[in-house]
Amino acid sequence: MWTVWTVWMVWMVCLVPTTSEALCTEDDGYKVRLSIKTALGGDAYEWNESEMFFFKATLAFAMRTYSGGEQYDVSNILVCDETLRVSFVFVVTKPSNTSELVPRTEVENAIKKSRHRINSAFLLTDQTLDFVGINPTLAAPIQYDTPPWLIAFGVVMGLVCAGIVALLVSTFLNKKRSKKSADEEEAGRGNGILCESIRGKDGLFNQGLVDDDRLTKL
Amino acid sequence: MEKESRPSWDNPMQFVLACVSYAVGLGNVWRFPYLCQMHGGGGFMIPYLIMLFVEGIPLFYMELAIGQKMRLGSIGAWSAISPYLGGLGIASVVTSLYLCLYYNVINAWSFWYLFHSFQAVLPWSDCPVNSNRTAYLEECEVATPTQYFFFRETLNISSSIDENGGVHMGLALCLLLAWLIVYLFIVKGVKSTGKVVYFTATFPYVVLIIYLIRGVTLHGALNGVKYMFTPKMEQLANPQTWINAATQIFFSLGLGFGSLIAFASYNHHNNNFENQAITVSLINSGTSIFASIVTFSIYGFKATFNYESCLERMRLLLMNTFELAEDTVHIDNISFWITDLNRTQPEQIAAIASRIETCSLEAELDTAVEGTGLAFIVYSEAIKNMPAAQLWSVLYFFMLLLLGMGSMLGNVTAIITPLRDFKVLAHSLSNETLNGLVCLFCLLLGFGFTTRSGNYWFTMFNEYGATFSLLFIVLLEIVTVSYIYGLKRFEKDIEDMLGRRPNWYWKIMWVAVSPLLLISLFVFYILNYIQGGAPTYQAWDKDVGRSVVKEYPVYGQVFITLLLVSSVSCVPLTALYAFCTRHQRGQFQTSIVQLNML
Repeated sequence: MWTVWTVWMVWMVCLVPTTSEALCTEDDGYKVRLSIKTALGGDAYEWNESEMFFFKATLAFAMRTYSGGEQYDVSNILVCDETLRVSFVFVVTKPSNTSELVPRTEVENAIKKSRHRINSAFLLTDQTLDFVGINPTLAAPIQYDTPPWLIAFGVVMGLVCAGIVALLVSTFLNKKRSKKSADEEEAGRGNGILCESIRGKDGLFNQGLVDDDRLTKL
Repeated sequence: MEKESRPSWDNPMQFVLACVSYAVGLGNVWRFPYLCQMHGGGGFMIPYLIMLFVEGIPLFYMELAIGQKMRLGSIGAWSAISPYLGGLGIASVVTSLYLCLYYNVINAWSFWYLFHSFQAVLPWSDCPVNSNRTAYLEECEVATPTQYFFFRETLNISSSIDENGGVHMGLALCLLLAWLIVYLFIVKGVKSTGKVVYFTATFPYVVLIIYLIRGVTLHGALNGVKYMFTPKMEQLANPQTWINAATQIFFSLGLGFGSLIAFASYNHHNNNFENQAITVSLINSGTSIFASIVTFSIYGFKATFNYESCLERMRLLLMNTFELAEDTVHIDNISFWITDLNRTQPEQIAAIASRIETCSLEAELDTAVEGTGLAFIVYSEAIKNMPAAQLWSVLYFFMLLLLGMGSMLGNVTAIITPLRDFKVLAHSLSNETLNGLVCLFCLLLGFGFTTRSGNYWFTMFNEYGATFSLLFIVLLEIVTVSYIYGLKRFEKDIEDMLGRRPNWYWKIMWVAVSPLLLISLFVFYILNYIQGGAPTYQAWDKDVGRSVVKEYPVYGQVFITLLLVSSVSCVPLTALYAFCTRHQRGQFQTSIVQLNML
């Protein structure tokens, strides 16, 4: 019996790692790519074991938030295929049964929900922290009560209309004023016959007559 | 014994600024740089300057002389020279009317863009997202955000000239504003125009200088400027270069519309217009060259930005496909990596072959654009990538507005001045009312250009409304002055006004060189039109995100012919009318004389 138990233990010890390796495939999980140097330039941090641990913890957090408190732990996040690019594949196992995987769609929704928190944790953006296959939800367009262009338009339109009205009113007032002074001038001339009434007729305009009037006045 | 003498400019400076404001327009900014690029960069200056001295300045001088001597608008002036040629003036007015109708629509677009620049994020910098926020709108994905903003949000363009839609309300409001501003500037005739031109003529230069400094300090700007100024002398052998230089000088100076005659008619009799003509023409050409430096530095910036984005995309593609570490692939060694990987892992390279682009700065710089595409699409794309983009956007569109408004002042004056010369109209309507009616008429017809197919009609007017008629009008003008009116009489008039006769240079130009040049341009234009086959236009295809070439429908071609014929036919028709009425009057006078003799 003791031998059976030892054999079973040895078998389990050998199998578990391979089982976890067998679980971690791109078909069941997601590939992640990080472009740290592109995002941060000189302030870029080194990608190492601790960062990987942090990433697993963030994913576990995302799963906990989405599932409403199920006790996901760092050990539930399995990672494989790590490359120098800083890309790897991860899968999520259920906290209740570590050999069973959480379906892809659930993982996707969990990540979509907490995407902003995951990005901020790593000082990256939707473009530099790339979950292959999970499209980022685009920012909602800003809604304005009044479109700003209408406000600028209203201001300029108001000024122009005010300008036109001011010009027309001033012209009108000037005309009235000059007409009044012209009338006063006309009334005091010669024998009271306005030049206007003579000019309209078809007859010749006799320059001589008008000149005489002026001389007579002198 | 006139109750009201002809209004005049407050001082000669106002006249010069009015001419500068009129001549320096959008064409200097969006047509000249394109021609420069097409015809060998720095080398294009040679035909351009030759044409300026041979064709531009003499014709400009002639129009100013006619206006100042006759002190009437175009209709009155040409009727005074010969009663049979009143139609020349009418043709000018009709052409000006067509121009007014569609030109202010450009100002409406400038207003639209200007008002939309007052936002935190420029609306043409990003594509709008679709309803469930998973992706951008499809039309914007296949085209670029700037093209989407212009064709969809500004114009709401339909897919062909046949599909009319409703009027675009925002654009209609902007057109209304544009016409109100034009009215405000011309409401009191020359008195108000004279004050406005101080600003519209000078402020664009302020903006151009600011943009020049901003432009040459942009990353990659010098690539563009170098590209422009590298002369390709072989282009000088191409006759199209010389034709384009001649037409550019011709249209840029605004000859033939009657605006110059109108402006000059408000001058004092002894105003020294000879120096003013030379000054304005040189300023106009200088501005073109200056504006093209600015344009090419912006081009260079945009091309470099696109080139570097292309390289960045390739870098990312290689890193992702081959799992290479980030600091091993730089934008400088991409080609090295590609050749290396082609050797070591050819199958994988073949798999991504469709996504590999060859990034070329030359190719980016070679994409030459002119017209509204340059002003509203290429420039706004460049602006959105500048730091503090909203400020530059506001400045740029404000400058476009000033250039456009300045030219509109001349266009509207060209219509109003001859109308005011008709005593009937002048006595029954006041200055303000007549100006208001003209603006209202143009506004109402202009709403047609704000419909969904409006841009296609706009292009039709732009290409056919003024080009052919102007060549015809100016050719007839120079022939009239040199041969019908007579060079001797013209010389005497100039001596009367300036105190000296024009020297032999002007006389040779007026009598021989300019008419010959104009005849050859005229013939080339006709040949081009005939050889070109059915006239076509560029229609925006929203599924492909590009403009596709379509032929005008039958009614479109009929309308084009109508546009061409309507202004040109004024000349023979009026001549015929004058001949008939003179003939009748002649008979009447001979019968009176016979009665008196009895």
